[in-house]
Amino acid sequence: MDKIFPVTVVGSWPRPKWLLDALRRKREGKISDEEFQAIADEAVLIAIKYQEDAGVDIISDGEQRRDNFYSFVADKIEGVELKTVAEFIDFAEDKAAFEELLRKLDVPAFSIRTPIVTNFIKKKTPIALNEAKFLKEHTNKKIKVALPGPYLLTRSSWIKGISDKYYKRKEDLAEEFSKILREEIKLLRDNGVDFVQLDEPVLMEVLYGPELSVQTFMCAALTAKENPRDELRFALDILNKTVEGISGVRLGVHICRGNWSKSEDAQLKGDYYPLLPFLLDMKVNQYVLEFATKRAGSIDVFKDYPTEKEIGLGVVNPKTDEVEKPEDIINFVEKALNYFKPERIFLNPDCGFGTFAESPVNTPKVSFLKLKSISKAASILREKYH
Amino acid sequence: MGKVINGLDVESLKSLIEEAKKNQEFVQKINKWYARVRWAGSGFTFNSYVRNHSFTISEPSELGGPDKGPNAVEYVISALGACYSTGFILNATKRGISIKNLEVAIEGEIDNILVFLGLSNEGHPGYRKIIAKAYVEADCDEKLVKEIWEETVRTSPVGNTLARNVEIVPQISLIK
Ligand SMILES: [Zn+2]
Repeated sequence: MDKIFPVTVVGSWPRPKWLLDALRRKREGKISDEEFQAIADEAVLIAIKYQEDAGVDIISDGEQRRDNFYSFVADKIEGVELKTVAEFIDFAEDKAAFEELLRKLDVPAFSIRTPIVTNFIKKKTPIALNEAKFLKEHTNKKIKVALPGPYLLTRSSWIKGISDKYYKRKEDLAEEFSKILREEIKLLRDNGVDFVQLDEPVLMEVLYGPELSVQTFMCAALTAKENPRDELRFALDILNKTVEGISGVRLGVHICRGNWSKSEDAQLKGDYYPLLPFLLDMKVNQYVLEFATKRAGSIDVFKDYPTEKEIGLGVVNPKTDEVEKPEDIINFVEKALNYFKPERIFLNPDCGFGTFAESPVNTPKVSFLKLKSISKAASILREKYH
Repeated sequence: MGKVINGLDVESLKSLIEEAKKNQEFVQKINKWYARVRWAGSGFTFNSYVRNHSFTISEPSELGGPDKGPNAVEYVISALGACYSTGFILNATKRGISIKNLEVAIEGEIDNILVFLGLSNEGHPGYRKIIAKAYVEADCDEKLVKEIWEETVRTSPVGNTLARNVEIVPQISLIK
């Protein structure tokens, strides 16, 4: 039988400097993809070793081959191109929204690269199969692969004035992303992936973005015109369409409030309460949620929404330098036990440690210690609740 | 044609500057500028005619306009950004530095817009403060970029217009 309180990760691991150099050289066309993958293999082995040594039960490849958790699909899907805002702003209809965002983020248009749909989309190569295969070959642990969710992909890449030439409504594009992802999930399952996690961070932006003046380019196309309830309904429908009826693999959805800098103030804030009615209708096995950061609010939101689903409980904050103590983790898990049975609680950090290649939120050393602290807490909890 | 940097022929740029040194007529020509702004005949829409160009000035809908173009105060800050950009490219090119990307983000704060609307006599309806932030991508060190920026700001015609008191001579004629 599987052990209770399994320890896992959300996905990314801080990348070594030589990998960042290789990533840059690949982008500039100075090395081939093959050369880059060989370099990345070495980085993945390091990420595996850290996780294994820390006692993680379900490990990832640290997303070492990706520039971030969603842009990398531009290499995998035809019709999706990585473009700077400077390159597409002349064609975008809502120029003012981009201008506002650039100002808030204090960045020039030429420095922001984002995947946008510039043609009909079609899968070129599997999205994460190469990652999964290499990971599987080099560990005996269970493995997890994160994929950008269908709503995130649609939301970030459909830009009015450009993408609507091919997909009149963003809903039409979402259908296509959904098909591609559905096929990918099955492929990953058939190749031995135990856990597929769909990342949907923009759901929090839908809820809390506009009020907070903290927005990202993932949500650039989202304007005030849209009603959050309609958006969440749309996100839920497309997610369910993507995963419905797929068995033989654990399916999770990860929702967080941003992980682009170490600064807590720069991220979104607000609890899961307004999201829960939608969350509970998602046809996934597990919610992978932040709870270590105060910005995520209380776990007591589940009081009004009891569920039989699993929870991937965020018990350490990847952004802080201080390592959480196992006792504190245990205390928090015991609070979660009011709402979830022991066999339905997974333990993980709030988010990845290196969501964006160029701006990891922590060092490998601290990241490792945080994971270790989680596994220590898990083994004490297992003793107590077996 | 000589060496081209930033899309500019460095030799002809230098001879242009040489020309300004000795040709009095040329200097007179580039020392004075003209524009004619015409009301489009309805609402807050105006067209400016400049040499063989024209552009529209309008007001956004929240100010009762048809939003057919930027408004006059937006043109002022755009002019400042454009002036800084022109100067930056000129000064970088003179030094032989190629610029990959240049962007100037400008934010202007009006002292008291209520004066313009006739609702207040406090302060004035002009810009109180303008922040101009340049982002540059170039293969050169930061010290040099700062040096070019300082020279640009110091010698900017629009920057100087805004920072100094300009003598404005308003006149009006009624045509019957
Ligand atoms: Zn996250």
